[in-house]
Amino acid sequence: MTPVTSRGFGRLTLDVRQNLPAWKQAVFVGSSLILGLAISVAILAVAGIPPLTLASELAGVLTAENLRGVLIQAAPLILVGLGASLAFRIGFWNLGIEGQMVFGGIFAAAISIYDIGPPATRLILMGMAAALGGALWVLLVVFLKLRFRVNEIIATLLLNYVAMYFLFHLLYGAWQDSKTAFPQSTPFRPFERLTDIGYGVNTGLLIALGGVLAAGWMIHLSRIGFYTRFISANPRMAKVVGVPVQTATIWIIAISGACSGLGGFVNVASQEGRLTQSFANGYVFSGVLIAFLSRNDPIVVAIVGFLIAVLFITGQTLQVFYQIPFTMVQMIEAIIVMTVASSEFLIRHRIRWIR
Amino acid sequence: MNSALQLAGIRKSFDGALALDGASFESRSGEVHALLGENGAGKSSLMNVAAGLYAPDAGSISINGAPISLSGPASARSHGIGMVHQHFKLVRPFTVAENVLLANPQPHFASGLRDIRDAIKKQVDALKFSIDPDRRIDSMTVAEQQQAEIVKVLVGGARILILDEPTAVLTDAEAIGLLEIVQRLARSGTAVVLVTHKLQDVKRYADVVTIMRGGKTVATLDPRQSTAEELTELTVGQTSALPERTPHQGGPTRLNVGALTYTRADGRTMLNNTSFFVRAGEIYGIAGVSGNGQAELAEALIGAIEPSTGEIWVDGAGDISHAGPTKRREAAIAAIPADRYAYALAGSLPIQDNLAVAQIRSGRYGSIVRLDRTAMRRDAIAAVKDYDVQGVRSVKQKASLLSGGNAQKLVIAREFSREPDVVVAHSPSRGLDARACAAVHQRLIAARERGAAIVLISEDLDEILSLSDRIGVMTRGAIVAEFERPADRQAIGRAMVDHA
Repeated sequence: MTPVTSRGFGRLTLDVRQNLPAWKQAVFVGSSLILGLAISVAILAVAGIPPLTLASELAGVLTAENLRGVLIQAAPLILVGLGASLAFRIGFWNLGIEGQMVFGGIFAAAISIYDIGPPATRLILMGMAAALGGALWVLLVVFLKLRFRVNEIIATLLLNYVAMYFLFHLLYGAWQDSKTAFPQSTPFRPFERLTDIGYGVNTGLLIALGGVLAAGWMIHLSRIGFYTRFISANPRMAKVVGVPVQTATIWIIAISGACSGLGGFVNVASQEGRLTQSFANGYVFSGVLIAFLSRNDPIVVAIVGFLIAVLFITGQTLQVFYQIPFTMVQMIEAIIVMTVASSEFLIRHRIRWIR
Repeated sequence: MNSALQLAGIRKSFDGALALDGASFESRSGEVHALLGENGAGKSSLMNVAAGLYAPDAGSISINGAPISLSGPASARSHGIGMVHQHFKLVRPFTVAENVLLANPQPHFASGLRDIRDAIKKQVDALKFSIDPDRRIDSMTVAEQQQAEIVKVLVGGARILILDEPTAVLTDAEAIGLLEIVQRLARSGTAVVLVTHKLQDVKRYADVVTIMRGGKTVATLDPRQSTAEELTELTVGQTSALPERTPHQGGPTRLNVGALTYTRADGRTMLNNTSFFVRAGEIYGIAGVSGNGQAELAEALIGAIEPSTGEIWVDGAGDISHAGPTKRREAAIAAIPADRYAYALAGSLPIQDNLAVAQIRSGRYGSIVRLDRTAMRRDAIAAVKDYDVQGVRSVKQKASLLSGGNAQKLVIAREFSREPDVVVAHSPSRGLDARACAAVHQRLIAARERGAAIVLISEDLDEILSLSDRIGVMTRGAIVAEFERPADRQAIGRAMVDHA
C-alpha cells in the first residue's frame, strides 16, 4: 500500500495481503512463538539458568505432583483467558481482569464471612456471587463508556488499583483474621473450598472447562455469537440492519467480567483457601496473552491456558531453586505477546524489497 | 495569453463505469477558469487526472503547449500543477509550516523549516491571508485550513492552481473573500481552475467556463455573455423521454417526515426542518446538490444517526426517529445506503451471514440458543440466484470479495427479502455499470408496484426523473420545492442552484 522509501538502498514496500491460507498463518504464529521462547531462554541463561537445566525443569513439571499444580493453576488462567477473549471479540479492551477477579473473590468471601445459605449449596452460592461481583465491576466501565464515552482501556486498567485498595481496606480492617493478624481473611470452612475429585483434577478446573464449553457454544452456535461477529466487523452496519448492538455488547461484557470474577473465586477457594492480598496479581497480563494466542476462540483458550499454567509452575520452581524473581514469568509472557503481535503484522502484510 | 494546462480526449473508467468520456479542457495563465457541472459529471475526476492522482486510460496532457506524462502527484507538482482538494490533505496535529514542509521536502530539517516559514509569510502577505505559520491545523477554522492548503500549494511553486469546490465548506462572506483573492492571484499570472456547481460564483468571478455533463466537456464559453438559464440548460442537459409506467394510485401515507433537524458534532446544521411525506406505491425522489443534507437525511431514516428534533412517522409503527432496533424492525424499513461497506455489509463476514442478519430475530434461522446454518445456506443460495449476484463461488466467501454492483445486489436481496413497507435508497446505482443499474431500478419499481413507499435520494438527476412519482429538491437541509411527474428538468435544475 504505502511505499516506504529509503534513498540508495532500493525500496521497502508493504502490501496488504487479502487471504493467507490457515496453515501459513499457523507457521507464522508458530515460528514467532519459538522465537519468543528462544529469546526467553537466552535471557534466563544470562540470569544463570543453563538451557539444559531449564529443559529438565520443564520435564519435571510432568511429574504427578507438579501436574496437579499445573491443573490447579490452569483453572483461573482459563477463566481469565475466557474473560479477555469474550470482551476482545467485540472490541472492548477489558484490561480490568484483576479488578474483576478481586471483586469476584470479595463477593465469594462475603458469602463465607456472613455465613449465607446452607452448607450444601454454599459453593454454588459463592460461585454465583463471584460471577456477579466481576460482572458489576466491569459494568461500571460499560456505563461510563456508553454514557460519557470514557475510554475503557484506561478506565478498566485504573479501576484495578481501586479494586486492589478496596481489598486492602477489607483485609487490614473489617475482614482481617483476628488469630494471625496478617492481612488475610479467616480461612474458608472445608465445605467452602474447591477440592480434588481424583487424578489431580480440581473442581475449579471443571468450572473452567464448563466455562469453555458454554462460551464455545455461545460464540459458535448461539444467536448472540452471530451478533458479536457483526458488532466487531461493522458496528454501524450492525445497528442499521437491526442487530441489538447495545444489548448484546452489555451482555457479552458482563459475561466477560463474570468469567474473571469466577477466576478470582476459583483462585481463593482452591489455592489460597482464604482472601489474600495478592491472589489476583499478574492475571491481566496472562488473560490478554491467552486471548491473544487463542485468537479469542474459547476452545483454544483451554489449551493455551494449560500451557501458560505449565509456564507458571516452572516459574515457581525456578523461583524456589534458582532465586529467579517471579516477574521473570511475566517478562516471558510479555516477550511472547510481542513476538506473536509481530507475526500478526506479517500475516496481514507482505514486505518486499525492491532494488 | 498562452495555454497553461491542456487536457485533450481524456478517458477514464472505474470498474467498468465510465467517469470521463473524451473530456477536453484548456486553461490559460491570468484567467479564472470555472469547471461547472452536476455531481458525477466528472469535474473532480478530470482535475484528479491533471493533478496526477488518476492515470487516464486515454488522452493527452500538455503544459505550456508541451506534451507531458504524469507518473503521480509529485510529478504533477514538479510541472507546477497544484490542487486544493475538497477534503483537505493536512496533518491535523502539525503546524502550518510543518505541513508545508511535508509537501515540499527540504534537504535539512531545521534550516528547511526556517526557509519554509519565510516562504509562507511571503505568500500570506501577498494574498492578504491571516494565518500564522506556527499554528496547529486542528486549532484553525475550516476557512483558515483552506488558506493553509492554498499556501502549501503556492509555496511548492504552482503556476496552475486547481481548487475543487472551494466554497462548499465556507460561509457566504468567507466564500466572497476567497474568490476575490483567487481572482487577484489569477491577475498576477497564475492559471486558476475553479471546480464548482455554483452558478453565481461562475457568473461573478470566472473569466471562462467549461461545462461538463456525463463525463464529457459540452461547452466552453464566456460566462458574462451567457444567461443563467443557458448555463443551467447546458449543465443539466435535455429532458429525455420518461419510461412508460402505470400511473400512481394515490394510496395512504406510509411515511411522514416532520420538521427534522440535525446538527453535526462540529456544529453545522445539516437538516433544517426537513418535511415531506410518501404514499404507498409511490417513489419520492429527493434531488439536490450533494452536501445539502441528503446523506444525513438518509442516515436518520435508516437509523444510523438520531435527529436532534422532529419525527419520522411510519404507518403502523409510529415515530421511529429515536426507536431501538425492535421497533425499527416493526416499521419494516429497507435500507439501501450510499456507502455499502459502511452501512449495509460486513465485508469480512460470509455472504450467507450478511444475508441472514436482517431476519435472524424472526427465528427463521434458528432459535436464540441454536443457529440454523442449513437454512441460512439454503436461503443464501436462492437469493444469490434470484438476484443474479455474480462472482459468488460459495456463499461462505467474504462479502468484500464482490464487485460494487454485485455487493449492491446482495444488499437489495437482503433488504427486499422481508417485503418492506418503506424503502430508503440513497444513490443506489452509484458506481454500477449500466446492466447492474437497470437491475437495481427494476427492483425499486417492483417494490412500488407492490405498494411500498420509496424514498429515492440521488445526486443523479436522470435517475430521479425517470423513477420518481414526485420530486422534492433539497437545499441546505430542507425541501425547498416539490414537483409532480412528469417534472420539468430545467425547473428542477433552477430550484437546485437558486437556493444554493
